[in-house]
Amino acid sequence: MINFEEELKKFKPSIEIEDAEDAIYNQDLDDMADVLVKFVKQAYPETDNNNRTVRPNKNMDQ
Amino acid sequence: MRCYNCGAILTKRNSCPGCGADVELYKKIIVVSNRYYNDGLEQASVRNLSGAIRSLRECLKLNKANIDARNLLGLIYYEMGEVVAALSEWVISKNLLTEGNIADDYMDMIRNNPQKLDATNQTIKKYNIALKYCNKGTLDLAVIQLKKVLSINPRFIRAHLLLCLLYLNNGNYAKAKVEAEKTLKIDTGNVMASRYLQEATEMIVPGDESEEEIAEAKEEVVRYKSGNEMIIQPKKTASLRANFPIWGIGLGIALGICATYFLILPSKLQQAGTTNQQTIIAISEESDAKSAQIVQNETEIQSLQEELESLKSQISTYEGTDSSMAAVNNLMEATAIYLSTPSDIDAITAQLDSLDLNAVEGSISNEFTDLYDSLMSHVGSELAVSYYNTGYEAYKNEDYETAITNLSKACQYDTTNVNAFYYLGNSYYNSGDTDNAKVVYDKVVTDFPNTQSAQAAEAKLAEINNASN
Repeated sequence: MINFEEELKKFKPSIEIEDAEDAIYNQDLDDMADVLVKFVKQAYPETDNNNRTVRPNKNMDQ
Repeated sequence: MRCYNCGAILTKRNSCPGCGADVELYKKIIVVSNRYYNDGLEQASVRNLSGAIRSLRECLKLNKANIDARNLLGLIYYEMGEVVAALSEWVISKNLLTEGNIADDYMDMIRNNPQKLDATNQTIKKYNIALKYCNKGTLDLAVIQLKKVLSINPRFIRAHLLLCLLYLNNGNYAKAKVEAEKTLKIDTGNVMASRYLQEATEMIVPGDESEEEIAEAKEEVVRYKSGNEMIIQPKKTASLRANFPIWGIGLGIALGICATYFLILPSKLQQAGTTNQQTIIAISEESDAKSAQIVQNETEIQSLQEELESLKSQISTYEGTDSSMAAVNNLMEATAIYLSTPSDIDAITAQLDSLDLNAVEGSISNEFTDLYDSLMSHVGSELAVSYYNTGYEAYKNEDYETAITNLSKACQYDTTNVNAFYYLGNSYYNSGDTDNAKVVYDKVVTDFPNTQSAQAAEAKLAEINNASN
């Protein structure tokens, strides 16, 4: 038997278009690659002369 | 695949050929990310949207720069009715890759249809209002709102699920089942919809159905589904069913006539009126143009007439000049003849006969007058005698026309010859020209008083006056 109240808690308000800008700005875009780069910087600070370049990757063999 | 440090293209080695950085772990992350993307793509192809979203989010957690995964995620959100989430993904995708990104086309598609975007925004607002109603406990209002939302955006999955939950709560298991099935049609892997469907199916037991059928039979009602709605209507009687086609046809015809009269005819009349108005405007413009042309032509005609009058007056001046020139020539010729042969009175007479003093009256110069007077002083008397003799002979022969011509000349050249005047008057009188006769007789009486000719002229004047009375 489904509990209405419990199920209702799972429903959250949908973002309206007026709030789209804030939603985009507040997105956390860090991924695992960024975490890896941070670890590398912490591990090897003397070789820190880089900025992670972001380019589209189609497959591994490029 | 490029190095995260220097951007160089990576090889199969575990170090970057450009900067020498260790890229083994980085490569593994990218590989796993791509695998998640492939899973997401496969799930999306079979409409397992919820599964695809999970896979694609994992993909982007590993590699946020996977543009294909991000665009696909946006597309899935759009299909589920989550327009804002879709736009967010596409905007981020566009920022990561500015050129040659299909996210541009997706966003242009939305931008070029602002009405639809506004309608979608309205559905989101109504959904949020419905959710508030649910939290407040006014479930009926929430159902009404959700029905409105789904009529505008039938692919809004969250609205379907919430409505399904409300139906389950109300005990409308059949409707809940319909909503759950609709959701699963859009998103085959939606776990919540599967649970609700299972719940609704379990709650609709066979025994309950038969009881419902019995109740329907007792109530003499007919129930059937139409979209989201369960229609319940009483059974019709035979007589009504038998006459229904005729009534229906008549009603349809009446409605058609009314629709034509109230909806179609006014617009047709307006169109016809607009067409006529345009025709009238075109004709008016043409008429105005023609009126302007007429005015212009009239102005031109007037100026041409003025020019014509001016030219005519010039012509008359030239004619006058020609007449004056002729008179001058005649006088000079007569003078030349007199100077060469003073005794050739006939030749002089012929030239002076051609001289028309009336034509040059008003335009003759002083020199002309002096020359004429001088010539007259030398030959005038001889001319007068010559003309008198010719005129008198004609008078005696009753050739009054010739007499008048010659006697007039005689009087012109010699104003002291009373006989010339008297016989001239008689010639006018005898030829029937009493007006000129009166003038000449009057001159005789005035200029030559106490002469026999004057007395005779007086008698003639009295005769003329008596005859006119």
